[in-house]
Amino acid sequence: MAHNIPSELKYTKDHEWAQIEGDTAVIGITDFAQSALGDIVFVELPEVGKTLTSHQTFGVVESIKSVSDLYSPVSGTVIEVNSGLQNTPELCNAEPYGSAWMIKVKLSNAQEVSSLLSASDYQNFLSTL
Amino acid sequence: MSIQKTSLHEEHLSLNAKMAPFAGFDMPLQYSSVKEEVQAVRGNAGVFDVSHMGEFLVEGPDAVKFVDYIMTNDFKNAEMLKAVYSPLCRDNGTVIDDMIAYKLAENRILICVNASNIKKDWDWISTKTSNFNIKLENHSDDYSLLAIQGPEAENILKKAGILTGSQSFPYYSILETTHQGEKLIIARTGYTGEDGFEVFSSHVFAKKFWKQLLEMGVKPCGLAARDVLRLEVCYPLYGHELNDEITPLDAGLAWTVKLNKENFIGKSALAEYKPRFQLVKLSLERGIPREGYAVLDSANNTIGKVTSGTMSVVTGKGIAMALIEKEKIPSDKKYLINIRNTNYEANFHSKAFITGGHK
Repeated sequence: MAHNIPSELKYTKDHEWAQIEGDTAVIGITDFAQSALGDIVFVELPEVGKTLTSHQTFGVVESIKSVSDLYSPVSGTVIEVNSGLQNTPELCNAEPYGSAWMIKVKLSNAQEVSSLLSASDYQNFLSTL
Repeated sequence: MSIQKTSLHEEHLSLNAKMAPFAGFDMPLQYSSVKEEVQAVRGNAGVFDVSHMGEFLVEGPDAVKFVDYIMTNDFKNAEMLKAVYSPLCRDNGTVIDDMIAYKLAENRILICVNASNIKKDWDWISTKTSNFNIKLENHSDDYSLLAIQGPEAENILKKAGILTGSQSFPYYSILETTHQGEKLIIARTGYTGEDGFEVFSSHVFAKKFWKQLLEMGVKPCGLAARDVLRLEVCYPLYGHELNDEITPLDAGLAWTVKLNKENFIGKSALAEYKPRFQLVKLSLERGIPREGYAVLDSANNTIGKVTSGTMSVVTGKGIAMALIEKEKIPSDKKYLINIRNTNYEANFHSKAFITGGHK
């Protein structure tokens, strides 16, 4: 099945995406991730102010049958949380790159961005799965 | 042992089902969406391939006596063509499996067991036959089994020509019939809490029937939806609420242990047994309980653990069954569930989370 992989975003092998705008990153899960999980019924996100290092768990996303950790693609401080997902977790299935963004992080190490996957890298990675 | 496939395996693949190994079989977990599949069964009808389940046939003059002896529930007094749910216990009262026995005739009984326990059950039951005039056969590889479940199931089977309008067919009973030259065993059973039927047939017929049902608009449903459905109505599942270490009396199944029966395997042990656990039903306003999560009392003492947990599709809440140490049952009925190092207050339920629509 073909998955939507917007070209302007960065990706991780854990199936998170990051939209880099200056020194902030907006983070969510990919179309592949939501499709693999199925109906998403619960999202647990961190508090604003939490500091994250890259690859650290920042929350949890649950489908009816499974629990999956969310890993931060970058290091930094959480400056905004999409708390609306608590009541509308199904948006993660419907609009994984849009209204279902999860957190905004102020980057503490901008150089990490270069180690993230491009859309074509991620596409190639998915084809190996 | 290599992984087994049911006769409908190719159909599942062609529907792009998410497949996963279950009890040695490559089984469909879900086709479209677990939510939609659960809703189809609660509101309309869905069909499950449950051909992985095991079937034993007991035949002979002592068939009823034998089945009554190996099960804790009462089979002897069950009416002809009725189905009886029962644990299968060892001499010490611990649970080998749970099963449904169908009284096809005084001398012919079908037993349906969990796929994961076919070998264990067979190894147990087949050593208990010596004092009985019966023939015991394992037909697990011979039958395909489709479960058509939901309020529309009866209408669908009538439209499909499998049921005629005139048959009296109450819940938890069975019917043997011939359809298009094919011998079918149809049981008005299932494990979803809804009205529904299970059709035991040849593999060839099952393939035709599956396609016919799908063409009629019946939704294919996977094991994930099946698990949510049985948990919403609080039916136990072996390996979760039941296991080798506990007795039926630990898992809320005292109603299936008929101590006034003349004799059955485990009777003396169960007669004296003081339950160590109690099965409770809990829900959360926020968060989803999962198997293995600790359950605590209001003073934060661990008192048990979740045996099955999921998000209820019908109520939209996290629901769980949990085995609690009997002596630690809180009299105030205040329970907490620990999720990722935080304790959440749970609602205690004395009844199942929802009432199924079965007849």
